[in-house]
Amino acid sequence: MAAGAAEAAVAAVEEVGSAGQFEELLRLKAKSLLVVHFWAPWAPQCAQMNEVMAELAKELPQVSFVKLEAEGVPEVSEKYEISSVPTFLFFKNSQKIDRLDGAHAPELTKKVQRHASSGSFLPSANEHLKEDLNLRLKKLTHAAPCMLFMKGTPQEPRCGFSKQMVEILHKHNIQFSSFDIFSDEEVRQGLKAYSSWPTYPQLYVSGELIGGLDIIKELEASEELDTICPKAPKLEERLKVLTNKASVMLFMKGNKQELKENGELLPILRGEN
Amino acid sequence: MELSAEYLREKLQRDLEAEHVEDTTLNRCSCSFRVLVVSAKFEGKPLLQRHRLVNACLAEELPHIHAFEQKTLTPDQWARERQK
Repeated sequence: MAAGAAEAAVAAVEEVGSAGQFEELLRLKAKSLLVVHFWAPWAPQCAQMNEVMAELAKELPQVSFVKLEAEGVPEVSEKYEISSVPTFLFFKNSQKIDRLDGAHAPELTKKVQRHASSGSFLPSANEHLKEDLNLRLKKLTHAAPCMLFMKGTPQEPRCGFSKQMVEILHKHNIQFSSFDIFSDEEVRQGLKAYSSWPTYPQLYVSGELIGGLDIIKELEASEELDTICPKAPKLEERLKVLTNKASVMLFMKGNKQELKENGELLPILRGEN
Repeated sequence: MELSAEYLREKLQRDLEAEHVEDTTLNRCSCSFRVLVVSAKFEGKPLLQRHRLVNACLAEELPHIHAFEQKTLTPDQWARERQK
């Protein structure tokens, strides 16, 4: 019976009604992955995400899914800085290991699958993980000569300070790569500890923290920014490098594999008829 | 958790033995704070270190301030700025 099956699926997502119940749950479910959906009855996206969760609960019975009415249990919501619904928190070993803000069904699925499949936790593993995290952060901060850790992306900044930072970097034609700290809770919290710097955005040059927006603004004012940060090569320079890349360079629309308007030219170049 | 502008201002003044601490917050949102700190403790320190001193002073409060901006000057720098 379809109705019965739907009810059973919804029942699989338990509702947490109090802070005490939440603490109890964290202890009980320490051995497995616990996913908590902070929701509100007045937000339609939450209802949709509840359905997504129910489906995931069916597929992955070893994962525990619960929901908590954010406004109904304010102590828990405030403790985890829940500022909007839906928000999902991921727990393992009673520790928060990840977070998702917003109704992104594919992202939720990805995170659940990733955390569900990443082995069981042993206390000694925590030390191992901290080392891994530090190594990961070291790699990330060195990922490009100039790295910006920001909220959102340069195309779509999700915070006024991050937006200003990007504007300044663009204004001075500075070449940088960026990392959206909203995309990874582990990096978001880990980097704050790694660099002893509590806020975002954070700008790094050669793996070293230069500072946040305030510092970049002061460097801009004192004209030191240009000496510290690498510049993006001007168009002329880029063209020079590209045109000299090989003895014969074809500038075309699309790439060799997807023939587009230059379809006639390629066979000729390849020596075909 | 005390987060009034006055409390933050006084804490900075005390801990950094500051000559002058000014709340320059623009939009009065209850969780934003923008401050100018003038202190001899900033002498000879690069910007990052100065900001770290301020961050350390407000270590407890910062996680609860959504938007924080700071400007750090030595007494000499501040005197010069006021002359402009």
